[in-house]
Amino acid sequence: MGKLLSSPKLLVIAIAAVAALLVSVAGGALGASFGLGFLGGPIPFISIPAERVAFIGSYQLLNSTVMFWFGGLILLFIAWRAGRNVKDVPSGWQNLMEMIYEFFSNTVDGVAGGTPKAGRRFLALVTTIFLVVMIINWVGILPGVGSVGRIETIDEWTHHHLEAFEAEVEEAHPSYNHEQVEAAAMVHLLEEHGDDTFVAFDGAIVPLGRGEQQRVPLNKIISFDHGDLEDIEKAIGDGDDLSLLPILESIHHDIETGVVKGKFAYKEGGDIEASSELLGKKVGLLVPYLRGASTDINTTLAIALVAMFTVQFWGFRALGVRGYGGKFLVNPITKGPIATFVGVLEAFGELTRTISFTFRLFGNMFAGEILLIAMAFLLPLVGIIPFMGLELFVGVIQAYIFAMLTLVFGVMAVASHGDHDSHAEDH
Amino acid sequence: MEADAVKPLAAAIAIGVGALGPALGIGLLAGKAMEALGRNPEATGPVQQNMILALAFAEAIAIYALVVAIIILFV
Repeated sequence: MGKLLSSPKLLVIAIAAVAALLVSVAGGALGASFGLGFLGGPIPFISIPAERVAFIGSYQLLNSTVMFWFGGLILLFIAWRAGRNVKDVPSGWQNLMEMIYEFFSNTVDGVAGGTPKAGRRFLALVTTIFLVVMIINWVGILPGVGSVGRIETIDEWTHHHLEAFEAEVEEAHPSYNHEQVEAAAMVHLLEEHGDDTFVAFDGAIVPLGRGEQQRVPLNKIISFDHGDLEDIEKAIGDGDDLSLLPILESIHHDIETGVVKGKFAYKEGGDIEASSELLGKKVGLLVPYLRGASTDINTTLAIALVAMFTVQFWGFRALGVRGYGGKFLVNPITKGPIATFVGVLEAFGELTRTISFTFRLFGNMFAGEILLIAMAFLLPLVGIIPFMGLELFVGVIQAYIFAMLTLVFGVMAVASHGDHDSHAEDH
Repeated sequence: MEADAVKPLAAAIAIGVGALGPALGIGLLAGKAMEALGRNPEATGPVQQNMILALAFAEAIAIYALVVAIIILFV
């Protein structure tokens, strides 16, 4: 403390840091409960599956795919810069790439047996996994990822969901005509998604209110009740002319306009009148244009599958079909039932490794994203900066773990069985 | 109890109980690593590297619990 007081420079820095933290706390959710909260924003919609941003023909382009391609482009650029002008004495990008290569070359040889070039066959995949996972983790926390997007209106939302339900109805009731299929699909949609919530927007792209208060359930946007749905179902069953049904027409009208129709309580048992400020506001879902690729479980599963299939390939190539297959399928008569059981466990182990690969990376990065969202809500603007640093660290650590585990599993796969005595008996 | 009322409770129990094991594991791991460092300060590099790797394994289990909690809350 004495040192701090004696140095005016340190004192100024300390005061500035404390002031920044105070501004951050006062501007966030804590300050909001005391009437401050000037920096506060609404909590974004947290969606576990990646969102669709565009259709290319019938291919659905997901926002996480875009980020993966972007990460790939960055890697390509670095590789191009590093390999453009190769010199004997490396500098700049070439130096960086050679450092990474040398580090992994040494690590791989060390884990695979200690002799030089012992781990040559693992080097390419292990280094690739590290670089790819690290880059996609890092580009995922760039500003704007997950927070900039467009509004998917109720019209578009129902359109996409109706397609799936229509296919279902058509399969179940092939005798229905087009109108009946449409109406039946609508009934299914409203029954299943009636409680789904949407975000109320203030005319523009900025969501209205804060936190949970902006979430409007679907049955307050499209006015219907359970009896209406039964009426429609009855009309479909009787084969009535559906275009004469007024409720169906009003549902379609509500979907097209897509605004808040009814009042509702923000919290269970809360005041219903409070939501009257939302009446007539446009509703939709924010679809981010970009989303960190490793926060989509499909990406991590794909990388895990590539890693585990390559591990099996290494095993088969090193030990042969009999040698590597013999680790999993053990003859219970010659080796005893316990060895057979251990072999089955080993086979299951390969499967669980794939799953744990998938969830380790996905869980870490997705949790990181939510941590950043929560921190942006609690400590906006200033307080969030150390957590971004933490996420950078987690990104590189998780990439390193993914790569090292692939290496360790690969080394385990190419190692022969060990019990040479029982092999000798076989011959 | 209604499903909506149980949801936050279930998520809290999932992450609360799920974080116990990894917390103990991380504590043990770091403690042993510190012991090893105290005995053999020259081995700081490899010990630290392996410790971080093993910490990530322990942490991953807490992350599984977190994923379950998130799925309970938001799906």
